[in-house]
Amino acid sequence: MEEDGFSGSVVGNPAGHEVILIARPAAPSPPDAVEALREILTSSIGLATYTATTIMSLVEQTVASAVNATVGAAMDRAVPLVADAILQRLDLTDLVLDRVDLRRVVESTLDEIDLTSLVLQRVDIDAIVGAADIDAVIDRVPIVAIADYVIDEIDLPQIIRDSTSGVAGEALDSVRRQGVGADVMLSGFIDRIIRRRERSLDAPGTPESLLARGGDEGLVDDEGVTP
Amino acid sequence: MTTFREYRDALAAGGSVERDLPALPTDAIRFQGERAGLVSRAVAAFIDVLIIFAVVLGTIAVFWMLSFIINPANPADIGSIEAASTQQRRIPEVITMIVYGYVLNVLYWTVFWAISGRTIGNLIMGLRVVDRKGRSPGWIVSFLRAVFCTGFPIGLVWSAVSHKNKSVQDVVLRTSVIYDWVVGIPWLRSDLEPLADAETRSTTT
Repeated sequence: MEEDGFSGSVVGNPAGHEVILIARPAAPSPPDAVEALREILTSSIGLATYTATTIMSLVEQTVASAVNATVGAAMDRAVPLVADAILQRLDLTDLVLDRVDLRRVVESTLDEIDLTSLVLQRVDIDAIVGAADIDAVIDRVPIVAIADYVIDEIDLPQIIRDSTSGVAGEALDSVRRQGVGADVMLSGFIDRIIRRRERSLDAPGTPESLLARGGDEGLVDDEGVTP
Repeated sequence: MTTFREYRDALAAGGSVERDLPALPTDAIRFQGERAGLVSRAVAAFIDVLIIFAVVLGTIAVFWMLSFIINPANPADIGSIEAASTQQRRIPEVITMIVYGYVLNVLYWTVFWAISGRTIGNLIMGLRVVDRKGRSPGWIVSFLRAVFCTGFPIGLVWSAVSHKNKSVQDVVLRTSVIYDWVVGIPWLRSDLEPLADAETRSTTT
């Protein structure tokens, strides 16, 4: 038995079943010159390969950076010149108008942004209003018509009349109303007797009571002809 | 329509804002300008006649009082026959006063109709006399109408039958009496330019 540089032998007595283990150093094997030479050669080749690879990489990086720098500088000088030359020969506006769907661009832009909030944030509306000619705006607004409408809607004349006319005024109106009512009743009665349908009561001209209300429709004579 | 700029310029030039108080109840607007019927016109005429009657009575009273200044009563004559005859002479004759009343009525209606188209009775009843063009009648028409109405008052009754609510006087003189409710004294109102124009036209014709 020989293992790990040690060798030994087992001496046994079959009758006593004793086992004695004796250890003694193993004898070194004689050096192999061929093997050593082979190892040295292999290591040398690996080292040479590694060195060559490293040098090649360094050279490649150096050359690439140098080329990049040179080409970049050349491009920096050449591209603007070329671009200028191209742009001088082109009408960009026409090109855009011909080739670009401006409506789509604008619509998509408007879809993207909130114009109202943009205006509210970026525009000084007070300054715009301050610079506007408000009188011109008001001149275009039919203020009198609006005022007439409001006055009619709230029946302002009646309100003023109710609040200002005294008992005498109300009595006068009452007498007049009764007169009108009696006129209508009498004429209706007579019209029934003589079987007449309706009277023609429209008189020429505009009554003064309506003139103050802007009801001047012009003078019309008794035959309905405007003089 | 006056624009705001014109309105503002007028104010800046020293103009003033004039506002008419509404003279009309809203429910009365619809029949303004229509020819009035017999009842309103008769009431208005009755008011006018009452006024004239009061003026005649006042005239008699003034004459009676003046007579005591001109011809003082003698206390000794009270109760005597001569005194009674003297008292009788202190007031004008009845026929004189009737003629005086008619003349006064004609003058009253002429002046008021020519100036404004309204007498006091018309004013109370909300009526106005207009000519065939809707203006206040001129002096001549007013005078003829006043004479006609005073001398033939029964002609007013025709307005109850007429298709256009016209009295005999209206038919002959081509006038109309319309509802025109105005409170105040219209002929003193400076803002009624159409009325002033009508007066100018009627006085020049």
